[in-house]
Amino acid sequence: MNAPNELGRFGSGNSVRRLEDPTLVTGTGLYTDDANQVGQIHLSLLRSPYPHARIVSIDTAAAASMPGVVGIYTGADLVAAGVKPMPTVAGFKRPDGSPAVSPPRHILAVDVVRFVGEAVVAILAETREQAQAARDAVFVDYDALPAVVDVSDAAEPNAPQLWPAASGNVSAEARHGDAAKAQAAFESAAHVVKLDLLHQRLSAVPMEPRAALGSVDPATGRLTLRLSSQMPSGARNTLCDAVLGIPQDKVRVVVGDVGGGFGMKTGVYPEEAVVAWSAFKTGKPVKWVAERSEEFLASHAGRDVVTTGELALDANGKVLALKVWSLANVGAYATGSGVAIQLLIGPWVGTSIYDIPVVDYRFRALITNTAPTGPYRGAGRPEAIYNIERLMDAAARRLGMDPAELRRRNMIRPEQMPYKNPMGQVYDTGHFDSITRQALELADWNGFDARLAESKARGKLRGRGIASFLEWTSGNSFEERVTVNVSGDGYIEIFTATMAMGQGIVTTYAQLAVDVFGVPIDRIRIIQGDTDRGVGFGSAGSRSLFTAGSALQVASEKTVELSKGLAADALEASARDIEYLAGRFNVVGTDRGIDLFELASRQPARQVFMESSTTVSGPTWPNGCHICEVEIDPDTGETAIAAYSSMNDIGRVVNPMIVRGQLDGGAVQGIGQALCEKVVYDPESGQLQTGTLSDYALPRIDIVARFKTEMDTSIPSTNNPLGVKGVGELGTIGATPAVVNAVVDALARAGLGARAEQIQMPLTPEMVWNALQGQFPVQRAVNIPGV
Amino acid sequence: MNAFEFHRPASVADASKAILSSDDGRFIAGGQSLLPTMKFGLSAPADLVALAAISELSGIRVQGASLRIGAMTTHASVAASDDVKRSIPALAQLADGIGDPAVRSRGTIGGSLGLNDPAACYPTAVLGLGASIQTDRRSIAADDFFKGLYTTALEPGELITAVEFPIPEKAAWVKFKQPASRFSLVGVFVSKTAAGVRVAVTGAGPCVFRVPALEAALSKSWSATACEGIRVSADGLNSDLHASAAYRAHLIGVLCKRAVAAAG
Repeated sequence: MNAPNELGRFGSGNSVRRLEDPTLVTGTGLYTDDANQVGQIHLSLLRSPYPHARIVSIDTAAAASMPGVVGIYTGADLVAAGVKPMPTVAGFKRPDGSPAVSPPRHILAVDVVRFVGEAVVAILAETREQAQAARDAVFVDYDALPAVVDVSDAAEPNAPQLWPAASGNVSAEARHGDAAKAQAAFESAAHVVKLDLLHQRLSAVPMEPRAALGSVDPATGRLTLRLSSQMPSGARNTLCDAVLGIPQDKVRVVVGDVGGGFGMKTGVYPEEAVVAWSAFKTGKPVKWVAERSEEFLASHAGRDVVTTGELALDANGKVLALKVWSLANVGAYATGSGVAIQLLIGPWVGTSIYDIPVVDYRFRALITNTAPTGPYRGAGRPEAIYNIERLMDAAARRLGMDPAELRRRNMIRPEQMPYKNPMGQVYDTGHFDSITRQALELADWNGFDARLAESKARGKLRGRGIASFLEWTSGNSFEERVTVNVSGDGYIEIFTATMAMGQGIVTTYAQLAVDVFGVPIDRIRIIQGDTDRGVGFGSAGSRSLFTAGSALQVASEKTVELSKGLAADALEASARDIEYLAGRFNVVGTDRGIDLFELASRQPARQVFMESSTTVSGPTWPNGCHICEVEIDPDTGETAIAAYSSMNDIGRVVNPMIVRGQLDGGAVQGIGQALCEKVVYDPESGQLQTGTLSDYALPRIDIVARFKTEMDTSIPSTNNPLGVKGVGELGTIGATPAVVNAVVDALARAGLGARAEQIQMPLTPEMVWNALQGQFPVQRAVNIPGV
Repeated sequence: MNAFEFHRPASVADASKAILSSDDGRFIAGGQSLLPTMKFGLSAPADLVALAAISELSGIRVQGASLRIGAMTTHASVAASDDVKRSIPALAQLADGIGDPAVRSRGTIGGSLGLNDPAACYPTAVLGLGASIQTDRRSIAADDFFKGLYTTALEPGELITAVEFPIPEKAAWVKFKQPASRFSLVGVFVSKTAAGVRVAVTGAGPCVFRVPALEAALSKSWSATACEGIRVSADGLNSDLHASAAYRAHLIGVLCKRAVAAAG
């Protein structure tokens, strides 16, 4: 073992190839569906074909006698068995000051169904095919009720009222800022720009759908529940505390490989709770694997917000005030995270990197007959940044100013750090002007005219868009617990309650461990996904590295310190005289020493064990500047990404290759929102129209070919010992406005001027072509009256 | 998927016998459309008569002024065929753009034509070149073959054996993809043969169709500019999640122009 060598090749700062990949890319991973148990039975769910209906009757008689059927259960059966509804919105208020509300969300619908795809009947059979066949033989008689799926429609006075306690379909409301001051600023402003903006509903579409396998040990009565989850502990706690009403130690959640989460696999889902309950009920292992169509129907969706945003500026382009009024469609049942994302987390970054003194934010969460919304990569920040970045471009157009220059005039300066924004959020670091200048250079901003002319010569419209921005990370949870076990058998096992889901966190953690222990990376084993081994918040909100990574470093250092004392005993020296280097303790100035693993093998338990919790001092504020150039085919309206450059301030970097992958993958998802993705419910029938991958358009890998992705690692976060900043969502947040601003710019240059700002996502060829014909979608203004 | 009887005849005669002796039988060629519908429970034939073992149904050959492609020839074989690339390069290009590699290595020209999916690629080439469809009973001109949404002139139990394409003077295929499925949102095949000019369109209507106005203009002058100013009516065209009828109508004109330019 040679310290400089191991650190040099595998420590932080190196693009170590992902340790996860040989398993994952050779098809030998262990996803939930890969796990099977002897005697397992299969769950199939009959789902509502109606967006809103009363359940008149459920006839399971024919299905119950079909081959292989083990049990058929309805929502009423579960209620009778004591199963409680899922937790819903909490901690918010309605416009009249009363607590926020939601219809109770039973894990199988009781009396009323509230969205197409809501689970109504659980069918258990010996094979999956038998369960599906029996599902088709269950007859449910429904009495259709009036339904509404669009959030603007739901806000209309004559809209169907979906829940008695939610008058106006308003589940919750939040107001932030100072409406009176904002009004005054707008009245005195030299310039005012106003945009009505759509943040269309998106589906997360991880490659691996949700899945669960639950089995009860007859000896102990404990349930082991395998899930595909980003938050094993949270899933266990919600399941035990809220839904099943059993002690947490009755359930062990185990998570193997996770084929993507993107925020969608946080918390526990009704289907997973049905698996857990059924396993207890039948005593047999119960498996459920979502079909792709079930993911479109019933997994938590992202975004689905309409906004009217206004910016007041003085004659020099200094922003005086920002108004953001939004209606968020939180679906049929308002989830805690679905509401918090829109009413609180998004607003936290509403002013982004700009020194905007006054805001007037008004947000309402509305209930509709659609699948509930929840976290999806970015979660509130994409909406907030899209609003301000679209407004900045519109303002630059009004003022006839370079959009980069307008942004620079409003940026928070490094000497203003720490900076408290109007929401009370404190940014610890940020050199926004520097980051933007570097991005402009990377993108050859000033060379645009030549490229514009070149595109024009080929009959193409070219446009340029910029988004300079920051984001908040952490999931609002700052503590993580880590255990370190130096085994006498020659490896170091480190457990964290965060989860790998394809982002490369295992490799990243292992590199941090190499930094401290100086042993070869193949001596490090990162263990995750087992609530019996430890609990914690999990992986969401771009938090894993700066929370659990920090905890891992601290725990590793404590392990070395503890071991120093043990080494002193073994070497019959004073701990003060022991130094640690590359897996070995030496008595300073002598040739006496002991190998770390040898030391561990001499301990009574043949190991050195350390358990440690670390709380970081705050969120991280990664930021960046993304610049996109598009080329539009005026004959068809097709948009091509002609160039995409980004400079990203992400603090210290552990693995540049993995971080680049996160930034690029994030940007691809942001581009997906800008150009092609949209969950569509038919406004008349309430039916989901994008229920398959043949109708829900995902971005394709070829768009990354033109990415120029760079990082500025010179501005470490001061809120965690690693100095790192969360990076999982940054690309997604920057990409959407950069691309849309580029398309709007191209259309404006094509003669549409400010009218181009009326275009709405996704910017499909038809949407762009219609714009070129002067036709734009109708986007209703959001009006939330003052109090 | 429901249970079914699987038959694997070695000759057209046996295939015909098998299908006619079943009340609810289906031929299965590459299975790229039929199998998914069976998996989703949208179709449940009692008998599947597989054509894979009938060697006389496969193969490509040039005969004088025509190109003959056996019904069981896969898209990948057509795309890779030197005979096709030499005689009708647009056809090789079309085959190379169908679905994905898995679909192309299993899917067949006969299967595609027998299904007549409204957004399929092959019907456009067949109609756009004025090909004839050979069956175990007769020869059917392309103009008489495609009858409507998933409907053809095939009688019950009638089996496509080959397609005969006239080798054109010029031909080209341009496909504008539906962004999710990658089927044709609109696809246009143009050709100039001894028999005249043809413009065939897929994806835009319930079934592949010709555009007489464009054909007339191109007959007068085979040039991209000849297409300008001709407005294709949106009447009867598809309007769905992915495009309005008006946009599809517009694309027909744009793609036709591009196809003519590509054909040279």
